[in-house]
Amino acid sequence: MPERRGLRVGQWIGLAATAVLLVGLLILPKFQSQYDLLTYTRFLVLALMAQGWNLIGGYTGYAAFGNVAFFGLGAYTTGLLMLSKLQVPFFPALFCGALLAGLIAALIGLPVLRLKGHYFAIATLGVAEAFRQIADTWDSVTQGSTGIDLPVRTEGEFFYYSALAFVVLGVLVTIALRRSKIGYAWVAIRGDQDAARMLGINTTAMKVLAFAFSAMFAAIAGGLTAYQNIHVTPGDFFKIEYTLQMIIATIIGGTGTILGPVLGAGVYQLLSNYVWTRFLELHPTVLGLIIILFIIFLPRGLMPVLTGSIEVARGRRRFRLQALLANVRAHRVT
Amino acid sequence: MNPTEFGQIAVNAVLLSGILALVALGFSLVWGIMNIVNLSHGAFVVLGAYLTFFLHELVGLDPFVTIPIVMFALFLLGFGVQQVLINQVIRAPLLATFLLTFGLEILIVNLVNYFFKADLRSVTTRYTGTGMSLGPLRIPYIRLAALGISLLLVAVTAAFLKSTRQGRAIRATGMDIDAARLTGVKVAQIYALTFAIGASLAGGAGSLLSMIVPFDPNLGETYTQRAFVICVLGGLGDVGNVILGAILYAFVDVFVGARLPEMSQAFTFGVLVLLLVLRPQGIAGKKLYA
Repeated sequence: MPERRGLRVGQWIGLAATAVLLVGLLILPKFQSQYDLLTYTRFLVLALMAQGWNLIGGYTGYAAFGNVAFFGLGAYTTGLLMLSKLQVPFFPALFCGALLAGLIAALIGLPVLRLKGHYFAIATLGVAEAFRQIADTWDSVTQGSTGIDLPVRTEGEFFYYSALAFVVLGVLVTIALRRSKIGYAWVAIRGDQDAARMLGINTTAMKVLAFAFSAMFAAIAGGLTAYQNIHVTPGDFFKIEYTLQMIIATIIGGTGTILGPVLGAGVYQLLSNYVWTRFLELHPTVLGLIIILFIIFLPRGLMPVLTGSIEVARGRRRFRLQALLANVRAHRVT
Repeated sequence: MNPTEFGQIAVNAVLLSGILALVALGFSLVWGIMNIVNLSHGAFVVLGAYLTFFLHELVGLDPFVTIPIVMFALFLLGFGVQQVLINQVIRAPLLATFLLTFGLEILIVNLVNYFFKADLRSVTTRYTGTGMSLGPLRIPYIRLAALGISLLLVAVTAAFLKSTRQGRAIRATGMDIDAARLTGVKVAQIYALTFAIGASLAGGAGSLLSMIVPFDPNLGETYTQRAFVICVLGGLGDVGNVILGAILYAFVDVFVGARLPEMSQAFTFGVLVLLLVLRPQGIAGKKLYA
């Protein structure tokens, strides 16, 4: 049957593209300067954060606006464990950071995830702000606004490959979760929470799980960034820009898709670099414009565009510019 | 805390609550009627402040005279923003309008930053710094006038919503959009009008703020958050609730600010989260949306 073969061909193309991309990313450091490698590492770390946000914001449909709290928590936990008397090595420290972030996210999530819509968004924003102030004022542990200095490690390749490994792991975890009962529960909650509960889904547990997972992704990204940047301060590691970047990256790529956050992070980093070099001062303005344009014309991100263009290229569907107006047609008020 | 200090803090709180109510009223209107948490609300406050600053510096107008001009300009801007941008996606899931207004906020604030730089500005007049004494307490004239003007604008808005045809159309649309449409209300226009009023009130508040505090393009962000907290405190759906929320917030803010300045935001948000969890409809409010 043509449909089934079509699906297989589509999967085959996707798999081949992913393999080529992965090999490309693996040999990339051979051809890049240390500076460019930094940009690529930044892209991978952003992809990691976006993957985390995608679990709560994309699949479960809860607009978390405070994930930077866990980014900072991961950074501080990793750093403080490495600096402690035990001198914990980097990777165990990183995992402790992720575990702690997941645990704290679950504790915070229990009350906060009862809120819906805007209330949840602003409450998480508040949590992140509270975290920043705690890191700022808890001098005896965090050394306040002076910050802490991690052991120095300079090889760019180490950070690049670590980040790449975590992103690949993130993709695999996302696939596994998406195909498990948990993933179906998340999508059901996004669709209609009350209906999901009637079907016997423990919505509270599932939401807390999504929030905890997203926190762990953010914490690993935070730990990596901390080790690479060496100097960790509350102002740098709890800034709302990180939350925004992960949300923007996920939306550019496509919320609730497996590869969307990675794609979005790549596109975001490209755009960001381009704008940064051309119009340094207008950088945030252009980002604001990008958000507005995506929300109006491509709220589901680039993933559907990508799969759509493959169909067009194979002659399955005709190209229609009007697809861009579909969102406005469906959601405008007259 | 001695009685004089206590009294001064209380006076400051009362003087602050007027402007807060003005900012929060526009925010609450947009939220209550259209279910939009307008993250660009603070950006309109910033625009209002800068407009007053430049009308005062370049044209030489008295800052109080600029208020109607500023409010009219922001009204037009708000109307356009709603018609051209927000109305296009307003029926999409919540996150869409949330992020759209957020993008708008980044856009406006950074354009202001680009053109006017991040320097701290302030509007200074002959009467800046003058005030009257009430026993040991000091009451600056400008803050007193700002309180008066704020309350006047709040009252005018309340009257407009209550007794004019357009105002009733706005409230009807907020209650039941389909029923409103059946009675001949042009919903898209009413939405634009609502957003325009919200922006205009924010602009007026920005205008008043420019005379009271030194400001830079980041002034607005905190006011968006404050407006949100006030709406949560008071609850949506009624002008009285907004005033109640503003007074409550002003007292908490001023007292915590006087005692524990470094923890004020953590404290405010702590209270907020607690309140949201225990009583999401606000202290006095009823649920209109969400």
